[in-house]
Amino acid sequence: MLQKKICMLGSFSVGKTSLVRRFVESIFSDAYQTSIGVKVDKKVVRVNNQDVTLVLWDIHGEDVYQKIHMSYLRGMSGYLLVIDGTRRQTLEDALALNQRVIQEAGKVPAILVLNKSDLVDKWEIDSARESELAVAGWTILRTSAKTGASVEQVFSQLAAATLAE
Amino acid sequence: MADQAHRRAPANQTEENPSANNHAYEELRHLIIAPEQEELADIQERLDDRARRTQDVSSVVAEAISMRRDQHGERALAQALAPTVQETLRESVRRDPHPLADALFPVMGPAIRKSISEALRGMLESFNEALEHSLSARGIKWRIEALRTGKPFAEIVLMHSLLFRVEQVFLIHRHTGLVLSHVVARSVATQDASMVAGMLSAIQQFVRDSFDSKNEESLDSLNVGELEVWIEEGPDAVLAAVIRGHAPSDYRLTMKEALEEIQQRYSSALENFKGDATPFLSAEELLTRLLAAQHREPAAAKKPRAALAAIAVLGILIVAYFGYSIYLMVEWSRFLHAVRGQPGITVISYDREGNRYHIQGFRDPLAADPNTLLKQAGLDPQNAQFDLAPYYSLDDSIVAQRARQLLHPPEGVTLSENRGELRVEGIASPQWISRVQERAPYIAGVASVDTSRLQNSHLLQLNAPKSAIESVILIFPIGRAELEPGQENTITQTQKQIRDIIAQANRLGEQTTVELTGHSDSTGIEGTNMLLSQERADKIRAALIRRGVTSANLHTRGVGTTQPLRPEDTEENRRLNRSVTFKITFTPTSSGN
Repeated sequence: MLQKKICMLGSFSVGKTSLVRRFVESIFSDAYQTSIGVKVDKKVVRVNNQDVTLVLWDIHGEDVYQKIHMSYLRGMSGYLLVIDGTRRQTLEDALALNQRVIQEAGKVPAILVLNKSDLVDKWEIDSARESELAVAGWTILRTSAKTGASVEQVFSQLAAATLAE
Repeated sequence: MADQAHRRAPANQTEENPSANNHAYEELRHLIIAPEQEELADIQERLDDRARRTQDVSSVVAEAISMRRDQHGERALAQALAPTVQETLRESVRRDPHPLADALFPVMGPAIRKSISEALRGMLESFNEALEHSLSARGIKWRIEALRTGKPFAEIVLMHSLLFRVEQVFLIHRHTGLVLSHVVARSVATQDASMVAGMLSAIQQFVRDSFDSKNEESLDSLNVGELEVWIEEGPDAVLAAVIRGHAPSDYRLTMKEALEEIQQRYSSALENFKGDATPFLSAEELLTRLLAAQHREPAAAKKPRAALAAIAVLGILIVAYFGYSIYLMVEWSRFLHAVRGQPGITVISYDREGNRYHIQGFRDPLAADPNTLLKQAGLDPQNAQFDLAPYYSLDDSIVAQRARQLLHPPEGVTLSENRGELRVEGIASPQWISRVQERAPYIAGVASVDTSRLQNSHLLQLNAPKSAIESVILIFPIGRAELEPGQENTITQTQKQIRDIIAQANRLGEQTTVELTGHSDSTGIEGTNMLLSQERADKIRAALIRRGVTSANLHTRGVGTTQPLRPEDTEENRRLNRSVTFKITFTPTSSGN
């Protein structure tokens, strides 16, 4: 079976963990994230009639206390950049982080995940900004960990992108 | 080819020979380089001719293989040849399985036997071990643990009796942290390998980052409770072994060697890894070799035997203990029964405290000693306490014994006792006989004495002369008191016998009384006959006195016809009734000795 290492990146409390909690297989406790800054989960998706195992490195959101261990990104086939749609700052932080990621790990398929689509009324990111990003080359998906909207799609789309590499 | 080479030279000549100079030059050239040309042609031919090339290679192929083996170790060659050999074997079997089967036949039997015996031994060992563990305190503890944790007992036993066991081995792609291969020992529960491998890589990187280790040094072991994770890193691959217990340090070397082989064998697959682990399927066999285990007691074969022996000994001891206790109880009850039946002993009560018996009752001083009885029964006198008050037993045998003790019966006399009557039998001196008659009634338990079968020893000695005298009959004529003639010798002899018997009896302390009885026949009147018979007896008494017999010993009486010796049916019988006969009795002298 094909395996791919996928990293999940994003600021603190953008909903990465919620995103994985309901949709992936997990054996490790969340405590690992706070202690060593990463927690490994698994998601099997079916792409082009073949199963692909995504080994998900859910990397702790960066804050003043904890920097991302960039070495965790080594060998990844793709990544999800998760943003909290209701907090514009998370987008800016994510884009800054993205620069460092590309520096460290090179260019690999990535998806910009705009989470909390269920709270779209409170969004601080307008569609103009969204199209700007799309123009810049980002694949953007709106998800809701709460309702489950588009979550499966995020994983299968990223898997397909890594296979195309 | 050779022909072509020859033909080529003349052909060239004809084409490039316009002049004689040229011809001479060609001639010279031919002379100079022809041999080399031929050699070249020959080499060319060797290379082109498949048959010859095969022939050439065949002459060195064996040497080449050994050289290769010596240079690079056996493994490289073996690895190179393995697929071919496998394919060859497969093909051979496909075509005709018999030759291979025949070739393997001699090794198959022993191999199968060995495998079966190994399996049986394993079964026996595990059975023994389970038996041993289930009987020990430790075994009970483990059983409780099994109940508490819900794991099977066998697994708990295995867990505790293992020195170490390599439960899982991961082969991880170093760069991505993705699992390439994963093997698990039997009956080990595992988590998802890809996540565990990822997390191990993350931890590795975390440690490396956090402690800023130089030279790409990395974590090489983790401890989690009873588990250890040993990690061995290569340039492209990481081996991680999950070990329960403590593996010996040389296991690290085994891991290193395995990793080196993997690095070597899969170098390009590792380099080009894009998430497809298929090329590493064959590494599973290598990883399986790393699943090792060592038990706490390698000499397990001995222990179960010891355990069984211990159980057997324990069993024998228990049986022996109960057997001995029952034996003692039986022996004691038999002993008590015997004591109760013992003459002269009366048991009123007994009780038991532990092993000690306390017996209360009465005992005649003449009765058997109970301690001796205990020893005879094989019981320990230490375990018994007798509390027996003395008394006089009226038991027949005890009374007889008491009589014996008091009367000192001479040899030849037996005493027996039956319900108060003491019977004395045998021959004894008249003195002893009189003592018996005097003392026996005073003996406790003797109500009467029967001496009817007791004979006076003195009288027995005097019996013969007594009957000799008593058989003498002195005959008288009809109506007269003078002896018939011819009886002088008889009377002389008789008086001598009488004097002898008196003397002999006197020596034995017996007083002799000789009674002379006068008889008459029925002729004449009764009154006259009575007088006549008295006269006849007096006559003989006088004659005896005259011949020296002491008169005090002689008494006479006339009985007339009242006690005839014979019925008077013939003349001879009538004659015998006209006679004097003797009757002798003895009485002990008061001073007798």
